[in-house]
Amino acid sequence: MRTRAALVAVGVLVGAYGAWLLLSRQDPGQLASAALWLAVGPLLHDVLLSAVVVVVAALGARLLPRSWWAPATVALVVIGTVTVAAVPVLGRFGARPDNPTLLDRNYLLGWLVLTGLVLAAAALGALVGSRRRRHPGD
Amino acid sequence: MRLAAPTPEHFTSRLRSPAVAARVGVWLGIAFSICFLTGLVSHWAQDPGQPIPFPTSPSWGYRVTQGLHVITGTAAVPLLLVKLWTVLPKFFERPPLRDPRRLLLTSLERASIGVLVAAGVFLLATGLMNSSQWYPWAFSFRATHYAVAWIAIGALVVHVAVKLPVIRDALTSHVDDTRHDRPTAVEPGALSRRGLLRTTWLAGGVAALATAGSAVPVLRDVSVLGVRSGDGPAGIPINKSAVSAGVTGTATSAAYRLEVAYGDRSVSLSHDDLLALPQHTETLPIACVEGWSASGSWTGVRVADLLDLVEAPRGDVRVESLQESGPFRVTTLQDQFARDERTLLALALDGETLSLDHGFPCRVIAPNRPGVLQTKWVTRLEVQA
Repeated sequence: MRTRAALVAVGVLVGAYGAWLLLSRQDPGQLASAALWLAVGPLLHDVLLSAVVVVVAALGARLLPRSWWAPATVALVVIGTVTVAAVPVLGRFGARPDNPTLLDRNYLLGWLVLTGLVLAAAALGALVGSRRRRHPGD
Repeated sequence: MRLAAPTPEHFTSRLRSPAVAARVGVWLGIAFSICFLTGLVSHWAQDPGQPIPFPTSPSWGYRVTQGLHVITGTAAVPLLLVKLWTVLPKFFERPPLRDPRRLLLTSLERASIGVLVAAGVFLLATGLMNSSQWYPWAFSFRATHYAVAWIAIGALVVHVAVKLPVIRDALTSHVDDTRHDRPTAVEPGALSRRGLLRTTWLAGGVAALATAGSAVPVLRDVSVLGVRSGDGPAGIPINKSAVSAGVTGTATSAAYRLEVAYGDRSVSLSHDDLLALPQHTETLPIACVEGWSASGSWTGVRVADLLDLVEAPRGDVRVESLQESGPFRVTTLQDQFARDERTLLALALDGETLSLDHGFPCRVIAPNRPGVLQTKWVTRLEVQA
């Protein structure tokens, strides 16, 4: 218990240092922008993304045969999370005409290839899985 | 149909369990710690004052720490999303309104979780956006990312301290153990718990591989989502172009001079004068704070030789660029970098005259330094001893 209390104290101190850094080095307009961006992340996740995941899972459970659930879930988790991480490059929001060395790939094509590979691997997994169930002796 | 906020009982999957959350949490904690430490290294390297001098060796040090920072942060995105999914029911827990003491403790704990989630999502989101140079906000990225990192690490330590008994139980018992599960979390999911964990590691690995090529040349062809293919003039990408720096006229003008100064002593050198001085070639990486890096063979004059022209004593060097504005128009080349034999004022890259976008007529290239401090279009070096 004493260790945990000490850890809480250390954590609060470290966090307070961060809060002081945040509040003391920028003007109110910049701080308002930072506050907005800090709030937007959890809101987007807790309200939007988590609801989308619940709906997709329910749809998948209704539409797909039981033997496909596992490979479909693996594929969705991989594709979904990697896509979230790839939003900035997929949108090419930071691209600038004077710098052709930045964001210089065909990201849509890359994403399609990656998604295709993951889906193909999942389909293969589903086939192997269903064959194993039919011929449990193999 | 009646719409109401769900309660934790509505979530029935046995995958949403502390046994899963703790295991993903360990790796997420490791990822955030790596990002925090490598981030501290980067802020140390960029601090002009440097109470403790930043080392000049190994020359690839900053390339590794900063590449690791961005790759780890990218791999943490799937981990964080799965972690949040496993604990989502907690978000809908009703506060214990009748017990003031428990209400206070619960509120404090939930506030600390709120801070942790907000800070964690903020760091990953702004970090990824920065690596693709997308800045749709008014705050300073560098100052805010740094401050929020301290907040996130503080909140993480609090979170671990609060959950320590559950974490210990979860990690020391089997992944299918149900001791800390909610009573309704009994329905088998599409995957086993082990299966979900393996899927999470796979997703983190794919995210890392799909982007790491910007820092790890052998992965260039695999990293279809990397911010840079690694190509550019003489095989090296650029961050700030000559056009955006507003130097196309001044850098190519016949009136260009490099001034080297110490106190009231100074020399003025044209591009030809620089070419006439002893030339040296060094293989050194350009490693950007945004995570990408590339190694090049640079040829030019040793900065130490230039400083000797004005018989300057040891001391930090103020480096001034032709660029019209921007936070890195004037930078500090600390004494240990200025006097390192490998530090050049480069005139050529890969055997060819430096391109305008790489800093023609000359640029600083020093070992183990953030790319933003490898100042381009240099017009003045002044020793401040």
